[in-house]
Amino acid sequence: MKGSTNQPPRWANKFLIWFVAEDLIEEIQGDLHEAHFHRSQEIGRLQADRLFIADVFRFFKPYAFEKYSRAKQFLPMFNNYFKIAFRNILHRKSFTAINLVGLTFGIATVMLIGFYLQNELTYDQSTPEYDRIHRLHNHYRDQVYTCMQFSKYFDTEGKDQVNLLNWLKGNEEVETACHFVPSNSQIGGGDKYYVETDGEQFLAEKVLYTNTGMDFQTVFPKQFLAGSPESAFTGFDKVTITEKLAKQWFGSDWQTRDILGRNLTIRDENYELAGVIANIPDNVHYEFDWIIHQETIPSWAGYTYFKLKPNALAEPLLARLNQDVNKVYPGYTEDILNKGILSVPLADIHFTNDTLYELKPIANQAYLTTFGIVGLIILLIILTNYTNLSIAMYADRQKELGMRKVMGARSKDISLQLLIEAILLAMFCLPLVVLILYEVIPHFNELMQINIDRNLLFSGSSILILIGVLVLTGILSGLYPALAYGSRSMLGLFGKSKKINLNHRHYNFRNALLTAQFILVIGLLSLTFFIQQQIDFISNKDLGYQKDGIVYFEIDGAEKYKELENALLQLPEIEAVGANGVPGSVMYNQMTYKMKGTDVTLSDGTQQYLTLGTVKALGIKCDACELLEKGKEKIFVLNQTAAEKLAKIKGVEPKDLINETFISEPEWENEEFGYGIHQNIDGIIDDYKFFSLKYPNQSLIVEIVSKPSWAYEMIVRSNTDNWQATMQKIENEYEKIETDRPFDYAFLEDRINDLYLEERRSGTLMKGLSLVALILAMMGLAGIVSYIAYSRQKEIGIRKVLGASVGDILVNFNKQFSYMTLLATIIALPTSIYLASKWLEGFAFQIEPQFWVVLLAGFAALILVVFVVTIQARWAARQHPIDVLKVD
Amino acid sequence: MQGLGYLEETVLLLILSMDDEAYGFSVSEAYKKHAGKSISISAIHSVMSRLEKKGLIKSHMGGATAERGGRRKRIFEATAQGKEVITEIKVSRQKLWSLIADLS
Repeated sequence: MKGSTNQPPRWANKFLIWFVAEDLIEEIQGDLHEAHFHRSQEIGRLQADRLFIADVFRFFKPYAFEKYSRAKQFLPMFNNYFKIAFRNILHRKSFTAINLVGLTFGIATVMLIGFYLQNELTYDQSTPEYDRIHRLHNHYRDQVYTCMQFSKYFDTEGKDQVNLLNWLKGNEEVETACHFVPSNSQIGGGDKYYVETDGEQFLAEKVLYTNTGMDFQTVFPKQFLAGSPESAFTGFDKVTITEKLAKQWFGSDWQTRDILGRNLTIRDENYELAGVIANIPDNVHYEFDWIIHQETIPSWAGYTYFKLKPNALAEPLLARLNQDVNKVYPGYTEDILNKGILSVPLADIHFTNDTLYELKPIANQAYLTTFGIVGLIILLIILTNYTNLSIAMYADRQKELGMRKVMGARSKDISLQLLIEAILLAMFCLPLVVLILYEVIPHFNELMQINIDRNLLFSGSSILILIGVLVLTGILSGLYPALAYGSRSMLGLFGKSKKINLNHRHYNFRNALLTAQFILVIGLLSLTFFIQQQIDFISNKDLGYQKDGIVYFEIDGAEKYKELENALLQLPEIEAVGANGVPGSVMYNQMTYKMKGTDVTLSDGTQQYLTLGTVKALGIKCDACELLEKGKEKIFVLNQTAAEKLAKIKGVEPKDLINETFISEPEWENEEFGYGIHQNIDGIIDDYKFFSLKYPNQSLIVEIVSKPSWAYEMIVRSNTDNWQATMQKIENEYEKIETDRPFDYAFLEDRINDLYLEERRSGTLMKGLSLVALILAMMGLAGIVSYIAYSRQKEIGIRKVLGASVGDILVNFNKQFSYMTLLATIIALPTSIYLASKWLEGFAFQIEPQFWVVLLAGFAALILVVFVVTIQARWAARQHPIDVLKVD
Repeated sequence: MQGLGYLEETVLLLILSMDDEAYGFSVSEAYKKHAGKSISISAIHSVMSRLEKKGLIKSHMGGATAERGGRRKRIFEATAQGKEVITEIKVSRQKLWSLIADLS
C-alpha cells in the first residue's frame, strides 16, 4: 500500500499512533484503514478522509489511552523512580551538593530581585481604587511642580486654600478632592516639634498637615485603631497619630490607656488627640507619622489629589480646569510663565521624572530594568549550570537506563524518570531558599532603604511562585538529558563507541552555555567596577568648596541666627559661621533673567541668598567679597556659568559684565523698575557645585550679605579633634536661644555623600549580584571539569603511559577553558562598555569607561578559571595509569 | 446474571452470527445492515472491549489484508459464558412474549 494514493491523512494517522495504547494500535488502525479503503471506493476520497479524521477523534477517549491499559504497571514503577532518585542523590554527594548550593543561592537571589521589583512596581497600589485617584501638577516656567500653589501663596487664609478643591468637587465626575502637606517635604518646612502632654514632652517629626481631613480619609483610607474618621476630622485643631507614635509616646500598652481626647500642647497651641491609625505602608509616595488637622496649612502650596467616580476620565476634567483656571487663580493665564495644570495617575507618581518637590525619591527605571535583566541572567546561569551538571550526572547512568530498557521501559518511561529526578532535586532547595531569604531580607531592606515584609515569604503566592520556578528549573534542566537518553537505543546505552559520541555532542552544547556564563560574569564584574569608579570620581571631584569640618543645622529666623553667631564666634575652635546656602542641595525652583540691553531671556537661574560667613566657611573663591570686608552691606554676583551664558549673548567677555545691569524676572511688571528687578553686578565667583554632579553646572545668581535679613539654616566650620565636645558646646549655645525646635545637625560631607545614595546602593547591590554570578559560574565550571576528568580517566592514563606529565595533562585541561574565557572577554568588551556609558548618562560629570577594565575582569576570570580547573582536574591527572586502565 | 445493554446485546448477537469473521470494521458494517443506522468504529471497539472484560467474548489476532495496510485483525468470538447469557436473555424474552396475548 505504500505510495498508494489511497492513504488516509497522514497527520490523523500519526495522531492516532501517538495517543493509542501500543497493544491496541494494530487492530484499531487496521479497522480504520479498512473502513477508509471501502469508503473511498463507495463515497469518494474526500468524504472518506473526513470520516477517517472523525473516527480518529472518536477514539480519543480513555478506553484507548495508554495510561489506562497500563495502569497496573505504572504505580509501582513510579515508586521505584523515587527510590532510584534518592539513591543517586546520595551516591553522588559532591555533585549533588554543588548542584543544590548553586541552585539555592541562585534562586534566592532571583527571588530577592523579584521581591524588590514587586515592591517598586506596586507603589501606591495598596490604596483602594488607586486607578481613580490623580494628583495635580502645575507647569511653571520650565519646571513641573508636584504641588498646587494657594491663590495668595503663604498669605492664603484656610478657607481660600480650598478654592481649587471646591472647584474640583463641583464637577460631576469627581467623587472628592483633598490636599495635604507633609512637614518633611520641600514645601513643608521640615518642622520638628516638641509635643507636650500631661507634663511629658515628646519629639515628633514627619507631620502631615491637612484641612480637608474627611476627604483625605476618603481618597487615602486609613484604618483607625482608636477613634474614628468622624472624631478625628470633624472640626479643627485635632491630631491623629500612627500606631508607631502611640507606642513611642504612651508605651506598647497604649490601647489600655485612655489617650483619646487628651490635650496636646505644640508650640503653645492646644490640640486634641483624636485618633490612632495603623502605620502607613512603606511603598506609597508619601510618608508621615502623625496628622494635624487645622484650618490653615502652613505652606504656600498643597499636594492636591482628586478621586474620580467610576469610569470617569481625567482628561476632560483637566481641559475644563485649564479653561476655568482664572476663577481659581485670578490672573493665572495672564502670567505667561504658567504653562498649564497637569494630572498624574496615582500609580504613576513613583515613576514620573523631572518634577519639583516630589515627596519621595522616584524609582529609577534604568535601575529597575538593570536589576530585572541581571535577575534573568542569574536565572539563566542557574538553568545552564543545573542542566550541565545533570547531563554530567546522567552520563554515568547509561547502563542503568539500558537495563531499564531491557526490562521493558519505553522512551517515555526513561524520560519521565529523569524528569522526575530533576524536579525532585530542585524541590530539595525549597526550604533552603526560604530560610536564606528569611535571613537576608532584613539586611537587604536596610541596604535599599525599603521595607519588604519577610513574612511575605510564607504567603501562598510566594510559595506557589517559588515551587513554580523550581519545578520549571527541574523540567528545563532535566528536559535535555531526558529526551537525549530516552530516545537512545538499548544497545546504544550499553555500547561504548556511542557513549563517546554522545559526550561530544553534549560537549558543544555545554561549552556554549559555559561561555555564555563567562560573558555574563565578566560583564557584571566590569559594570560593577565602572560604577565604583564613577562613585569614587564624584566623591573626589573638586567641588569648588571645602566640605570637611562643616556642620549645618536649621535656624528659625535672622534674629536667632545673629544671636547664635555672636555666641559661637566666641568659641576658639570655631573658624567661620554663616547663614544659608548649604551646598549639596536638591534642585529647587528656578527663575528667569537677562542682561539689560539684550532681548534674550534665560530661564535656568538658581537664586541664592547667603552671608559672607558661608562663603568663608566653604572657602569659595570670591574676589568681589572684598567689597563686603570694606563695609558694603550686600553684593550681587554671578557664577562663572551664568556669566558665560550672558556674556555670550551680549557678545562680550564674562569679566566685562561687572558693573552692568542684571534683570531678574524681566516679565514681572512693577513700579520701581518697570519690568523685572534691576541689580548691578558686583563680581563673578567661581563655579562651585551647589547641586549634585548628576547635573551640569547651573547658573547661580547670588546675593552675599554681611548681616542676613532672613535665615533658615546655619553653617559652622570648626577646627577640632574632639567633635563630640565641640558639638556639645554648639548645642548648649543653641538651646539657650532656641527652645521650640530641637538641635538637629548634620555634617556637610554626609549630605554630599547622600546625593549619590542611590548610586552607592546600586553599586553595593551590583557587587553582591556579580559575586553571586561569579560563584555560580565557578561552581558550574567545577562540576563540569570534575565530570570531564572522571570520564577521561582512561585517556589520561594512556597519555601518561605515553609519557605525558601531570603538568601536560593540566595544561591540556586548561587550554580549552582558557580559550572560552578569552572568547567571553572579547564578547563582553563592547557590551559592558555600551551598558556602562548608558548608566553614566545619568551624570553630567562622568568617567570614560576604559576598555582595560573589561580586560582586567577577563584576566581575573581567567585566573579563577585556571585555578578551578587545576584543582578539579588534579586528581585525575595524578592517578596512576594502572589503576584507571585496569578497569574493564 | 450480568446485565447487558441494548448495544452490547446487539453486538454480541452480531458476533455470534458472523462466525469467525467478527472484527471491528466488519461488525460495524453488519450493524449498519441490520439496524439500518451507522455506528462509529470506536463505539464498536469500546463495546467489544466491555464484552471481553465481562468474559462474554474472547479474541485472537487474525489475518492481515491489503486494505488494512498489512495490519492484523482482532477476531472476536463468543465464549461459552457469552452463549449462555445470550440464551438466557432469549429464554426470558420468549417467556414474556408468551404472556402477551395479542399485540395488534
